[in-house]
Amino acid sequence: MQATRSLSEYRKRSTLTATTVFLLPVFFFILIFIIYPIIDSFWLSLHEWNGITSGKAFLGLENWKTLLGDKIFFKAFLNNMIIVVLSIAIQLPIAMAIAFLLDTGGKKLNFLKMIYFLPMLMSSVAVGFLFKYTYDPQFGLISAVDTMLGGQGMVDVLGDPHRAIFGVIAVICWQFIPFYMVYFLAALSSLPVEIYEASIIDGASHSQYFWRVALPSMKGTIKSAAVLSLVGSLKYFDLIYVMTQGGPDGATELMATYMYKNAFTIGKMGYGATVASGMFIIITVISLVTLRVINGKEEA
Amino acid sequence: MKKKFKVGKIIVALLALIWLAIAGAPFYFMVASAFKEQFEIFTTGVFAIPKGLYLQNFHKVIEGDFYKYLFNSIFVVGVSLVLILFTSLFASYPFSRFKFKLNKPLFGIIVAAMAVPIHVTLIPVFQLTQKLNLYDTIFALIGPYTAFNLPISVFILTGFMAQIPKELEESAEIDGCGKYRTFFNIIAPLSKPGLATLAIYNSVNMWNEFSFALVLTQSQKSRTLPLSIWEYQGQYNANIPMIMAVLTLCALPMILAFAIGQDKLIKGMMAGAVKG
Amino acid sequence: MKKVIGKTLSAALALAMTVSIAACGSGNQSESSSSSSAANTSSAATTTTVASGDPVKLSLWHIQTTEPMTSNVKADIDRFAKDNPKYSVDVQVMQNDAYKTKLKIALSSNTAPDIFFSWTGGSMNEYVDADKIVDLTPYMDKDNYKDRFMDAGINQATYKDKIWGVPVENTSVAMFFYNKDLFAKYNLQVPKTIKELETVCDTLKKNGIIPFSLANKTQWTGSMYYMYLANRIGGADAFKNAAARTGSFEDESFKQAGTIIQDWVKKDYFNKGFNGLDEDSGQSRTLLYTEKAAMTLMGSWFLSTAAGENKDFMKKVGSFAFPAAEGGKGEPDAVVGTVGDNFYHIAKTCKDPEGAFKAIQYMIDDTAVAKRIEAGRVPPVKGVKVSDPLLQNVLDAVQKAPSVQLWYDQYLSPELSDLHKSTTQALFGLSKTPDQVDKEMEAKAKELAAKK
Repeated sequence: MQATRSLSEYRKRSTLTATTVFLLPVFFFILIFIIYPIIDSFWLSLHEWNGITSGKAFLGLENWKTLLGDKIFFKAFLNNMIIVVLSIAIQLPIAMAIAFLLDTGGKKLNFLKMIYFLPMLMSSVAVGFLFKYTYDPQFGLISAVDTMLGGQGMVDVLGDPHRAIFGVIAVICWQFIPFYMVYFLAALSSLPVEIYEASIIDGASHSQYFWRVALPSMKGTIKSAAVLSLVGSLKYFDLIYVMTQGGPDGATELMATYMYKNAFTIGKMGYGATVASGMFIIITVISLVTLRVINGKEEA
Repeated sequence: MKKKFKVGKIIVALLALIWLAIAGAPFYFMVASAFKEQFEIFTTGVFAIPKGLYLQNFHKVIEGDFYKYLFNSIFVVGVSLVLILFTSLFASYPFSRFKFKLNKPLFGIIVAAMAVPIHVTLIPVFQLTQKLNLYDTIFALIGPYTAFNLPISVFILTGFMAQIPKELEESAEIDGCGKYRTFFNIIAPLSKPGLATLAIYNSVNMWNEFSFALVLTQSQKSRTLPLSIWEYQGQYNANIPMIMAVLTLCALPMILAFAIGQDKLIKGMMAGAVKG
Repeated sequence: MKKVIGKTLSAALALAMTVSIAACGSGNQSESSSSSSAANTSSAATTTTVASGDPVKLSLWHIQTTEPMTSNVKADIDRFAKDNPKYSVDVQVMQNDAYKTKLKIALSSNTAPDIFFSWTGGSMNEYVDADKIVDLTPYMDKDNYKDRFMDAGINQATYKDKIWGVPVENTSVAMFFYNKDLFAKYNLQVPKTIKELETVCDTLKKNGIIPFSLANKTQWTGSMYYMYLANRIGGADAFKNAAARTGSFEDESFKQAGTIIQDWVKKDYFNKGFNGLDEDSGQSRTLLYTEKAAMTLMGSWFLSTAAGENKDFMKKVGSFAFPAAEGGKGEPDAVVGTVGDNFYHIAKTCKDPEGAFKAIQYMIDDTAVAKRIEAGRVPPVKGVKVSDPLLQNVLDAVQKAPSVQLWYDQYLSPELSDLHKSTTQALFGLSKTPDQVDKEMEAKAKELAAKK
């Protein structure tokens, strides 16, 4: 009796030390480069600072009041939400379909896999550049396709306030589907071969295998992918900055581009920090809620 | 039943072809344009096949400081990647395996950190870098690159490790292995495929990173490739083929790495080390 | 405008170059430690605190990334260092956008280079108000050095009755550039009034030619039409007063300018989808080169850029000033642009402003001026002679201009400038009425004035 208790205590303690040792490095980096700067940003959000003067004027919650009534910030948030919904709805199914195709195709399709992954290998600067030309109403690919299909050509995507956001989302999907493709592919490949063989021997078709066996066993992976896509979409910045800079007339403004514009273009560092902090709060709340929902379901 | 199967196959094949075009076309535009003379792009159309193999663009790019940028990028990405892989491997183990009070809250912090936009931290990190006397060196980039890629890496790897059957380590523990030996002998080797995914994902991310490189470095000696794209873009104005040559050269190392790494990735998976 | 100013250069000349950025900036790094002793002296120091023989290290940032301008700046500074051996200068050349961000961070942490530049206007005033740059009036007054420069350039560098910068690079004004062949083909004359301009546009439209090519993702491009229309209708004072808060952005002239623009957009005078096109990637020029469009209103850097991209096309290019408004208050010879482009400042943190000023002078001495003319620029000094007729047009326009209106987006404070650009884009996109735009501008201007 005595012996078992001390053994379990010993185990508990060793688990604790091991946990500490294993988690130390990751929190070292996160503390210095992420948590501390965030606190600093919150501090800055209480000030007015144009980024040039050495002193900052203390404002209290003035910036936060402005943020709550800021229509552009609200619009930017809505745009972010559009990206969230469309990203998950478009990227994940396509990525899954392609991953399944590549998985069943096996090694023969390695070359295809290579090409499919290309968009992910290019920087946003490069992608932005490419699509500026793809979307050019006079000379671009979209207009060319439209003409081929019997249209008038001259399709204006990025200059039209109603279309621009969808034009950019298409590019975002283009850029990130390969990531989820590989993510799903890894999960699919890790499914036991025996199950696949058994279900095929049982007379199931590929699609039956996919719907009845592969998909249900990938629940966890799909949930993770959805969360990744969610937070990625909420903090999205690169491509919008390169392609539209939030325009035309704020039609593609995102929280991150609005923050950047305030802090680095207009020079309202304090308000920029407020937008950043507000964005941080929104993203944290949304992801925590999402995680809770997902975890809750898992337990049930 | 059989008919349905065929329809599904056709749809999948069609999707494969469409995606081939969608993923490949802009890439084709980049590479094809890089071989064009400056004005060819206006006269023959953006998507036309180049008249000949015009290599001048590449010559000019390589004559410059291309190799220096290349080295900087390789160095920064390499060092950061090693740090990321080890750190996330360590961290994912307790998160996926141990039962302790703070597991969920700490993991919550990791997830929250994943959502932090780097622009929130740009100014504080800049000031920190200056205090550490690392400003304008390539070493300045290693910390932020590692820190900002860790959350997603830990997230992915924890999910991955959770799929490794518990029986393996339980039997190891019965055999008398401690936490550390279990980790190094069983968990770490089994996590290789997950690490391969991380390696590819993170290298691509860091290879293309722009904002930190812009703010934390300043002189030629510490510039990385994506920043050089920006420099070249300013330098060659609307000389599209020239810019495309730069873009092609910058993407090339990643494409090569993926071409090689992809095979390893698949082998790692096929080895059957992980069986959900 | 800010973005393009940095690109005032010929892309053709860019073609001829290869290494450029690499040539400068490197190599100077090792010297930094040796000069630290000199740098530790008092912060308010001038030459009095720096012993005459002690080596002084200066730093300079600029954005002339295209050749031969990169080498020109380097050559100027090398001459300075050779004549003044106690100085060594660390020259950093960077891309336009990177420059703006880095300078801001450097200024806030008091690590700014000794010598740097701005485009004057709102940003320069901000530096002055934050006590970041040195008053150059005594240096400019010495031996009447300021008389070397075009008066408009000195005016531009003046704020609160003091001179804060030295105009160095270029004189750029916006004017119409047009395809002479297309005009001849449809028997069109250069328009003298806005009404004539509209007639020209209608004829072009009828023949399937786009009158104006515009890439307005960049926003300042559309602003040019707005600035000129407001200037021709309301005169130079309308804007000046509105900005100085002695007038209003709800002035009738702004409303009329906005109305005309929307009228032109509705009549399809501009190419389709302009609000999504990028000027910096040459998307508007492509329309001109392919003769799909006939005219563009652009800064005079258009000449060197287009020459670099398409030499053959330049044979067809003519230019004319923005036409007069019938019954407008504005003088038809007034121009919108900048006389100097890059104005060099000396940071308050500089240990040796006298030496720094001397270094700046080498960038606009006779040798430097000759080199800049050779590179197709119009340096902001008096008595410049150029051989290219199109460039001469630019020079003439500046010399006979009764007033030079600096680009709004540089003249206004960064915040108001940003609003001006986005509302103008909305105006072009027909998503806001001229009234809405003017109200927004006026409200923001009031809000900012109240803060001061």
